[in-house]
Amino acid sequence: MKKEIPVAITLILAILYVAANYFTGVGFLDAAKERLDRWYLVVAAWAVLVGSINLSQIHGRRISQRREGWVFSVWLLICLFGMMFFGIFIAKNASHPGWTFMYNQLIAPMNATVYSTIVFYIGSAAYRAFRVRSPEASVLLITALIMMLGRVPLGRMLLGGHPALSQMADWILNVPNAAGMRGIQIGACLGGVATALRIALGIERGHLGGTSE
Amino acid sequence: MSIVTGYSFAFWVELLFLIAVITMIRRARGGMRIPEIYKVAGLEAMDEAIGRCTEMGKPVHFSPGIGDLQNAQTLAAMSILGYVAKQCARYDTDLIATNRNVIVYPLSEEIVKQSYAEVGKLDSFKPDNVRWISDDQFAYATGVTGIMFREKPAANILVGAFWAESLIFAEVGSIAGAIQISGTANTHQIPFFVAACDYCLIGEELYAASAYLSKEPVLLASLVAQDWGKMVGVVLIVLGTIMASVGSDSLKTLLSK
Repeated sequence: MKKEIPVAITLILAILYVAANYFTGVGFLDAAKERLDRWYLVVAAWAVLVGSINLSQIHGRRISQRREGWVFSVWLLICLFGMMFFGIFIAKNASHPGWTFMYNQLIAPMNATVYSTIVFYIGSAAYRAFRVRSPEASVLLITALIMMLGRVPLGRMLLGGHPALSQMADWILNVPNAAGMRGIQIGACLGGVATALRIALGIERGHLGGTSE
Repeated sequence: MSIVTGYSFAFWVELLFLIAVITMIRRARGGMRIPEIYKVAGLEAMDEAIGRCTEMGKPVHFSPGIGDLQNAQTLAAMSILGYVAKQCARYDTDLIATNRNVIVYPLSEEIVKQSYAEVGKLDSFKPDNVRWISDDQFAYATGVTGIMFREKPAANILVGAFWAESLIFAEVGSIAGAIQISGTANTHQIPFFVAACDYCLIGEELYAASAYLSKEPVLLASLVAQDWGKMVGVVLIVLGTIMASVGSDSLKTLLSK
């Protein structure tokens, strides 16, 4: 019964949700979908609490056992609970100036900083990928060179103003690349639908802690 | 009651696909021989990666991506997590499962715990190893980076829905010296994984993972139906190309109904 009940709930809700997306003019289906979406938000809100407890437990133990880098755990907990306290008891809404300051001056720049490190990772990944070790890597290198030169003014300058490299880059992007990507997308979409069906029908129960029926 | 405009064709195709999947499952239950499935290197390497961690006495890191539970990729990742957790439990290897989504986190914990219980190693389950890092994409990426450098896992398994953080994870794993298996259906992230990881599950291979790893005939049968779907797709593409070439847009009209 531990698995049968969740499987039955999944099947009923899946039918409801799919029907609500495909059919119009059925009042109860629209209402059910709206209610399910709201339930999801409520569950997500509670899950934040569960996640915060997990984070506090892990870092609390790290601090109490004085493990390497425990000072950072102290800082993490100060930030976590400080922001939580400020949001619940002082700011109370997202438009509070103190709250927007913390978001715009602290969180947004930190996010931008981490995001910008990707450029260095692209460099190191490209270096490894483009090392000519096989015929495939050679094709990759040549294609990458055409793409890069076709996207910057240097490419046109090298050919005395002729847009050949840019045209080749466009062709690579719009023809072989798009064809390959669409092939992957079609397969992935069918795979996604098949996975959803397997889960809805209770054949695949990996999310319930078991592999299959 | 009527079908939403523009969804008619999709509805009938999905209904036919559902019938095909159910038919194949019924036939598999009746003892039908399932055709051989081609070897997926990334999935074959899963045991090798866990074995490497066991030999080196280092943990396995698993990330189910940053998608929520409404994303089929996350659900596929959960099935792989169950398999990885069972193998780790069998070989007494630590598994660090990090999560970004707060709804995915309790599910990850339950799956790992259940997997340890299924192989009779519940005592070895460490709740501290299933972690929720942050709901913020780059805070999660930073947290995983820290774990990779501090705890130095010998295997880095990244399967699920990934966005801009994919390359950060894969490169950090590479710097940490981990064997890396990745998989996503997000086409714009696949090149990053292919460039930076040892093995990559591309698109539908991610969804086929649970069937492939479990070798369950019923699950494998649904992959056959999936292949039928692809064949229908190919036929439609060829037909559409021919019809567009002769100036007819009747197939396009039918698809948009």
